[in-house]
Amino acid sequence: MTKSAILTDLTQCIGCEACALACKEINELPKDTPLHLLTASTWSAVEHRNGVNIRRQCMHCEEPACVSACPVAALEKTASGAVIYDAGKCMGCRYCMVACPFAVPKYEWDKSIPTIQKCILCYETALSRGAEPACTSACPTGATIFGERDALIREAQNRIAAHPDAYVNHIYGLREAGGTSVLYLSAVPFAELGFPANIMEDAYPKLTWKVLSKIPNIVSTGGVLLLGIWWIINRRIKLQDDHPSSV
Amino acid sequence: MKLSLPKPTFWTIVLAFIWILGIYAVFTRFYYGLGAATNLSDQFPWGIWIGFDILVGVGLAAGGFVVAATVYIFNLKTYKPIARSTILTAFLGYLLVIGALMIDLGKPYNVWHPLIMWNHHSVMFEVGWCVMLYTTVLFLEFLPVLFERFRLERPLRIIRSITVPLVIVGVLLSTLHQSSLGTLYVIVPDKLHPLWYSGLLPLYFFISAIAAGLAMVIFESYLSARAFGKELEFSLLAQLSRIIVLVLGLYLMVRVQDMSSRGALQYVFDGSQESLYFLLEVGLGVLLPIILFLTPKIRNNTAGLFLGAVFTLLGFVMHRLNVAITGMTRSAGVEYVPTWMELAVTASIVAAGIVIFRYAAKYLPIFSQEEAFGVHPPPLVSAGKSGRLAMGLLGVLLLAILIGLGFGWMQEKPVDLHLRIESAVAQPASTLELPLPIVYEMGEASPGAVTFSHENHIDPSAPQCKTCHSGIFKMRPLKAGALGSVQMDLLYEKKQCGICHNGDDAFNVEDNCEVCHVAIDE
Repeated sequence: MTKSAILTDLTQCIGCEACALACKEINELPKDTPLHLLTASTWSAVEHRNGVNIRRQCMHCEEPACVSACPVAALEKTASGAVIYDAGKCMGCRYCMVACPFAVPKYEWDKSIPTIQKCILCYETALSRGAEPACTSACPTGATIFGERDALIREAQNRIAAHPDAYVNHIYGLREAGGTSVLYLSAVPFAELGFPANIMEDAYPKLTWKVLSKIPNIVSTGGVLLLGIWWIINRRIKLQDDHPSSV
Repeated sequence: MKLSLPKPTFWTIVLAFIWILGIYAVFTRFYYGLGAATNLSDQFPWGIWIGFDILVGVGLAAGGFVVAATVYIFNLKTYKPIARSTILTAFLGYLLVIGALMIDLGKPYNVWHPLIMWNHHSVMFEVGWCVMLYTTVLFLEFLPVLFERFRLERPLRIIRSITVPLVIVGVLLSTLHQSSLGTLYVIVPDKLHPLWYSGLLPLYFFISAIAAGLAMVIFESYLSARAFGKELEFSLLAQLSRIIVLVLGLYLMVRVQDMSSRGALQYVFDGSQESLYFLLEVGLGVLLPIILFLTPKIRNNTAGLFLGAVFTLLGFVMHRLNVAITGMTRSAGVEYVPTWMELAVTASIVAAGIVIFRYAAKYLPIFSQEEAFGVHPPPLVSAGKSGRLAMGLLGVLLLAILIGLGFGWMQEKPVDLHLRIESAVAQPASTLELPLPIVYEMGEASPGAVTFSHENHIDPSAPQCKTCHSGIFKMRPLKAGALGSVQMDLLYEKKQCGICHNGDDAFNVEDNCEVCHVAIDE
């Protein structure tokens, strides 16, 4: 399976929201909720900010913070590039929501038994059958297109090279959070469009793994140390008790 | 059996009131969902139930492993008299934390999933495992008390023979997950305010938990001594206060050093809300107890020790809440203030902890193990009316959860939460800007100019852009590309406009020239 990705060129988006509607259609999400905001029932949104239409969805990070955060492996980065979710495994701790640097996973706050809701790149309905996601196939202008990640990066580089005045020289998602499967081009600096500005260029899971990977050492060293201390102290007390005069 | 209520003293009334509110809140959470009971949102997914019930609850139970290590590994037997009550506190603490977690979790019945669904890259996975294992260890450490109470000699001997390995495992597990609660936040460098974010968060959580655990020992010994008229092991507690000073001093030193190396000191006095909370936390909760414990006049009396312990605990609570709530507010973009229901649940849990501890202290050999209860242990059946009331309320709580879950799950409820979300992020709805009318260049044989109007072709409330774009007609990307041409020959072949203008879907192009071609001379 090739590593699929999405390139969204904000300069070509007319804000028709066809992507957002197509997403609701295929994922059978409630249609009565606003399309400009990511919520449990809107996995793909179109925000209108400073005269720019900004498509929002899960970034499908190369090394997702949510996947590393989930204690029960309910979130998974598939070989296809999609970050998918298994509600059956989820226990509802919401650590993925805390961990995601793009604040993508949403929750069903109005349900007795809520689940996490987010874009899964149409993994079941399209991707795993070799088709393209509903959003990109619905776009009338070709502002958001589906393809192989490396090819889309080349395409984005070509567009910037061909029209250097029309774009800021930045492919958002190329390096952000260690690289994402959803890439953006824009005429306006991304920080002005509500994209997280101080996002790390390195993958987020590395931060916690740096700590977690030390655990085996802590356990073995700590165990030996504690046992040693106990043995030494206990022996000294015993010796004292046996030969009180010799001390 | 005649049901009679316990004497309505001030405290039983307060307690009953808190629990009734708490039970109502738990019911609301399970019936209407987390959004109805809490102020949590997509922007702020963790609130006071995580910040206080879990982060603080686990930390306050840290006295258990510190004292157990002191007594059984470092062999400082002088501390033995307080070992049991601290281990009981820790055990109760963990049970309550797990209880609180059940209310906060979206799917509490899946809480056992980390047992079989592994993700060793997850901090939460590690925390879950450690809490499960350590609660078991605490139970085993607590067992001798029960065995003594019921005079079970053989099991008592067995459990005593494994005390040391048990304590070592307990210390390791505690070290791991006290620090791991801090590690949880290591993955949010750009969400947590720099006054609190650090790669050393695990270390801070660990050190401050030791200070808080020891302060908890003083706090509790003082209160139980008053409540049960028992002798306070004053010299022991005074020694503990000296250790607390050392621990807090180390904690403060590492934190300041680390903040200066991260360039975070500039935020300390910048007058923001965060700086205020930070100064309160460090001033009242770290510096003040150090000063109190170092002042001989205060250190040398029980009330002074108690005061120092209270401020140490306050500083600890503030640190956890600052990490979980204050420090996360700015990046979330919404102000999180817990609802009364969230507070009621938290208060109920704290109250439950106090009540259970009181009963345990009254009926189990906890405070002085040498002369457990002499010849006649107090009869358990005399748990009394208040005991029955407590059990009754526990039953009501379980019922509330079951009914809430049962009915809440089955029924669809129109709770208007989306309105709240919308107002939080007010934004104009989409305004689709239709392109200007397009005037086509006339060909040689054209009978008149053609102007295409989007307005006449679509319903703006449901624009089916996809019908024509980009399959039939290319759009003009970047406002630079040339307009494609429309040719009558193609139209007659049912292409371009002819696809729809075929006589069936829309008027036929063949005999309606004048509809589109506006004659110039006529």
